[in-house]
Amino acid sequence: MNKLFKKIIGFPQSESGESFLSSFSAILFGVAFGFILMLIFNPSEAFEGIGIILTGGFEAGRSSLGTVLVNSAPIIITGLSVGFAFKTGLFNIGATGQLTVGAFAAIFVGVNWTFLPGNLHWIVAVLAAILAGAIWGIIPGLLKAFLNVHEVVATIMLNYIAMYLVVLGVKETVFNSLRSESLSVHPNAAIPTFGLDKIFPDSSITGGLILAFIAVIIIYIILKKTTFGYQLKAVGFNRYAAQYAGINEKMNIVYSMAIAGALSGLAGAVVFLTQSGIHITTTYILLPQGFDGIAVALLGLSTPIGVLFAGIFFGYIKVGGFFLQRLAFEKEIISVIIASIIYFSALSAIFKKYVRKVFATKKNSDGGDE
Amino acid sequence: MEYVIEMLNITKDFPGIRANDNVTLQLKKGEIHALLGENGAGKSTLMSILFGLYQPTSGTIKVRGEEVVVRNPNDANEMQIGMVHQHFKLVHNFTVAENIILGKEDTNRGFLNMDDAIKKITALSERYNFNIDANALISDISVGMQQRVEILKMLYRDAEIMIFDEPTAVLTPQEISELMKIMKHLTEEGKSIILITHKLKEIKAVSNRCSVLRKGKYIGTVDVGKTSIEQMAEMMVGRKVLFEVEKGASKIGESILSVKNLNMTNKVGKEVLRDVSFEVKAGEILCIAGIEGNGQTQLIEAITGLNSHFSGNVFIREDEITHKSIRNKTLTGIGHIPEDRHKHGLVLDYNLGENMILQSYFDNEFQNYGFLDFEAISKHTNDLIERFDIRIGRGERTSARSMSGGNQQKAIVAREFDRNPDLMIAVQPTRGLDVGAIEYIHKQLVRLRDENKAVLLVSLELDEVLSVSDRILVMYEGELVANVYPKDVTENDLGLYMSGSKRGAV
Amino acid sequence: MKKLLVLVAAMVLVFTLSACNDTADENTLPDPNEGATSFEIALVTDIGTIDDGSFNQGAWEGLVEYAVEHQFTHKYYQPIEKSTNDYVDAIELAIDNGARTVVCPGYLFENAVWLVQGDYPEVNFIILDGSPHNVITWDDASTADVDETVTIADGAMDFTVEDNVQPIFYTEHESAFLAGYAVVQDGFTELGFIGGIAVPAVVKFGYGFVQGADQAAQDMGLADDAISINFWYSNVFWETSEVQSTAAAWYTGGTEIIFAAAGGAGASVMTAASQEDGLMVGVDVDQSDVSETIITSAKKELAISVYDTLVEIYGGTGVLGVTAVFDVTNDGVGLPQDFSRFDTFDQAAYDIIFDKLVDGDIIVDGDNTQSLATIIAKYDKVEVSDEN
Ligand SMILES: Nc1ncnc2c1ncn2[C@@H]1O[C@H](COP(=O)(O)OP(=O)(O)OP(=O)(O)O)[C@@H](O)[C@H]1O
Ligand SMILES: [Mg+2]
Repeated sequence: MNKLFKKIIGFPQSESGESFLSSFSAILFGVAFGFILMLIFNPSEAFEGIGIILTGGFEAGRSSLGTVLVNSAPIIITGLSVGFAFKTGLFNIGATGQLTVGAFAAIFVGVNWTFLPGNLHWIVAVLAAILAGAIWGIIPGLLKAFLNVHEVVATIMLNYIAMYLVVLGVKETVFNSLRSESLSVHPNAAIPTFGLDKIFPDSSITGGLILAFIAVIIIYIILKKTTFGYQLKAVGFNRYAAQYAGINEKMNIVYSMAIAGALSGLAGAVVFLTQSGIHITTTYILLPQGFDGIAVALLGLSTPIGVLFAGIFFGYIKVGGFFLQRLAFEKEIISVIIASIIYFSALSAIFKKYVRKVFATKKNSDGGDE
Repeated sequence: MEYVIEMLNITKDFPGIRANDNVTLQLKKGEIHALLGENGAGKSTLMSILFGLYQPTSGTIKVRGEEVVVRNPNDANEMQIGMVHQHFKLVHNFTVAENIILGKEDTNRGFLNMDDAIKKITALSERYNFNIDANALISDISVGMQQRVEILKMLYRDAEIMIFDEPTAVLTPQEISELMKIMKHLTEEGKSIILITHKLKEIKAVSNRCSVLRKGKYIGTVDVGKTSIEQMAEMMVGRKVLFEVEKGASKIGESILSVKNLNMTNKVGKEVLRDVSFEVKAGEILCIAGIEGNGQTQLIEAITGLNSHFSGNVFIREDEITHKSIRNKTLTGIGHIPEDRHKHGLVLDYNLGENMILQSYFDNEFQNYGFLDFEAISKHTNDLIERFDIRIGRGERTSARSMSGGNQQKAIVAREFDRNPDLMIAVQPTRGLDVGAIEYIHKQLVRLRDENKAVLLVSLELDEVLSVSDRILVMYEGELVANVYPKDVTENDLGLYMSGSKRGAV
Repeated sequence: MKKLLVLVAAMVLVFTLSACNDTADENTLPDPNEGATSFEIALVTDIGTIDDGSFNQGAWEGLVEYAVEHQFTHKYYQPIEKSTNDYVDAIELAIDNGARTVVCPGYLFENAVWLVQGDYPEVNFIILDGSPHNVITWDDASTADVDETVTIADGAMDFTVEDNVQPIFYTEHESAFLAGYAVVQDGFTELGFIGGIAVPAVVKFGYGFVQGADQAAQDMGLADDAISINFWYSNVFWETSEVQSTAAAWYTGGTEIIFAAAGGAGASVMTAASQEDGLMVGVDVDQSDVSETIITSAKKELAISVYDTLVEIYGGTGVLGVTAVFDVTNDGVGLPQDFSRFDTFDQAAYDIIFDKLVDGDIIVDGDNTQSLATIIAKYDKVEVSDEN
């Protein structure tokens, strides 16, 4: 009993408690900011509006929860991608490019390889996406490791290269010329729902969420429990100490980027291996799920569990923003409100400092004798 | 008597440890007050409280007789309290001047008033003979100079009370004596100084009074003029301390490490190693002596593989290992206590347990099929904590960052000794350690050598060089200029070799 | 850090304030949306935004005009993402929020409208340039647009249009006829037509353009083959360097003006036009704002069609579940009213030819199944070089 009490009292000061509180205060801050914007633009409906944003995920019951999860799954995975790379000291801005090539590979297999029977079809399509994303991650990894090209520069450039190449690839191989978009994938290539459609009826839910969960668990295990994760993190925290310890930094960079890329590629499969009627269009735009991943990783403080919740939160807020259209808000203002909530929330690392301050009288676990 | 600072009955708790336990410290105006205590005794913590980095769990602080609360370093600045931290806090790609004004920028309509700042800095530098170029980049100046920048930072903010946390640990003997002069000069101007150091000689040389802490508790304050070094050491450790290293005659065996014709030029084309050749034999402690910056760092980097841009050959016994990977070298039996514990020695964001397996995480002892065996790691770490008397709050889960400087060093030493290497490369292994810990580490080095292992010691401290080593090589400007035995030389002779005024046979 | 936050906040404010500026309309009628909590007439945007200068914007303008005039609450909705499912969600949100009429601008909604039409019999749907149908399987859905009889292994295409749905199509050939007529009347003799893929709408644009040019040549009494037209289906609806270089080659080879009915490929023609000092005829909406080189556009009157359909729904016979065709007789197609970029061709000349079409004095052949050769054979004033 006493122990439990101590645990509760001590939670704000424990490592995970601190992270949770900082993310939570960041969210509160973001929501408060969004609320202020609403007060400015539509004071009479501001209260109702903030209510809709906060409950939007439940607005239409289980079907809208399904929509939340549909939108969360890919950004959880890209968030993992960015967060994982970040843990190992790399800033992967290239999630969107890796996602794009993954999406193309998935669609290519999904449309063309109809000789694959049943479940094998979607599995191969997902694997193809993972592989393509991994390759797209390995390139900047190699450039960084062996030519010392900064990964931020390389991944940004690769985003554009991916965008152009994929539009070209779509046109050449899986093109619906009338609609100027990619063809729909074969039903066998759509990721099955694993029964989720029963829980969330009337939504376009797919098994993507399950894949996101699996990815979270795998990354969690890699980072926390394995020697591989140990050495990756060592390089990320202190590359000189890692070098001293005999860890091959170059190979670690390549592995790390490969895994980050593979994750983003998987996210591409999750977005497009569905029968919801979504396609790669031939307009030259970078897919937003990759960039959302950066915000998700920031809010989730780069940890797999944090990213999982952050991704669901962002999906939730997006759906809330969609339902905010009920009220008289201009769509542009809704976009600004939602973007503010998301990006202010992403500043949770800053709040960590304050959380620590608030509880500082009792504890100072870090930043001591430095 | 008038005190400028009084810290009364200060207690500070960290999770799992009471770092300060009812400590009282009173600083008189114009004095140099030494703060002495073992590693982890709570010195840095106490000073961090005074500087507003931590809040005390209980106790009061008075500044010039008035009770105050120092909420943060800005408060401290306003009370004219300044601090030079154990590990400097400078921005490396900023200039000296930029670092000094950081946080106290004078602006003129939103633009930095750099010229005035530089004038003021230059004036200060001249007044104290600092010899500093305000426009130099921090990354380009020596550690000694960086410390002066830290001092200038305090002066620029008109500090009257100055805290120096182990300022001499990273300095050369010359720099140390210059720092002492500066401190004297400062007190003559009426400033008051708190000095933390483990070197009793320094305390003896400059300070007026000395307060002693032991395991967080306040032991007492003594008048330095009336107290001997031995007495102070005993107050601090709680027992008599041996300043002499006890060791028998060495039994020299086969050659363990041999280095042949090492040459290295640095990035700007300067020769930093010139034809360096030597051997370290089993049962021998060989010491490389020299003034900092004469190629010792580069020599060790070449041998250990941290830098591979050199020519020449390195052998362990008969096997050439010149360009083998670091992992490979580690596995052939090289232990390495690195010069910079924060850069190479530790991953500060890892906890102690994780740091203790830095070179052996892949060993079957600590992993099964690629999964870390946390139980084994914990057991191993706690074993080392006990054997090496590492003083920390939360066992293997203590974050390395939160450990006291000396305990961080002890942890590295523990890790390297425990691997029981055939060749131990120890670069300033006792830097920042208290006398008790130094004694312990010296004993360990001697034990290794008695077990027929080879020890290559790099040290800047003549005391250590003379008392621990079996043979001494002196380095000057990247060359070996002398090969002598401690019984044959005096400190004076060594000084002459080290400054390049004398050469011997190598 | 605080400073940064303030800065960001300030930027957000500036941005949003400027974004809502243009919503203050000049009309004197009260805003029917004032204080409203449910919205009667809705529009769901497709991939683009409401100010896309194309279908979303055109349809919205017509909607707003009608709604303000008749004091209906109105609102547009943007789907979360761009899948059919998201379109359906957005349509349902609109309905849930009080919509009794939902405007769906563009063929991308065909499947979404097919899915919802039966569920909401009390709600009217207007779909522009498209007609509801299902998607049976993964690879043949698209071909259904071309040949409505296609059936495929997994089942049949279903083109059911419930009687609460009003699909709207436009007579592209009439619009293009007017454009072809206008440019030849204005003195151009070397013309070009670049189509996208030869889908019915594109073919109609091309054939209409040729006919218009021929008609003008006749009216002006020009010699046979006085007008030459380069005619080419680029087979793409997006920007390519091939389209751009072809257009550039035409311009340098003497072509004065090119009519591009090729979706995104129009942008390639535009680039070539501004580089080679050529001129263009725009398509679908008034594109004069997009480029100085566009002297007129073969328009579909999106706003008018939406407006008129709303009139029908709220004051007339209601929607019938039958495709409505907007043509010259109901002002459904035409050229923009601004003729300032022409030398001689003007409003008066336009009105004359427009009336002739309305009266049936001239009939534009909109049969897109004929071969180009057949259609050319009928006209002697133009020489068409088919580049395919
Ligand atoms: N931020 C912190 N969180 C937890 N424990 C801490 C923190 N800072 C210091 N400690 C613990 O408090 C004790 C005192 O540390 P402190 O740094 O004050 O020692 P010190 O006397 O300066 O030692 P050294 O001579 O080694 O620098 C140590 O056991 C250390 O592990
Ligand atoms: Mg300390």
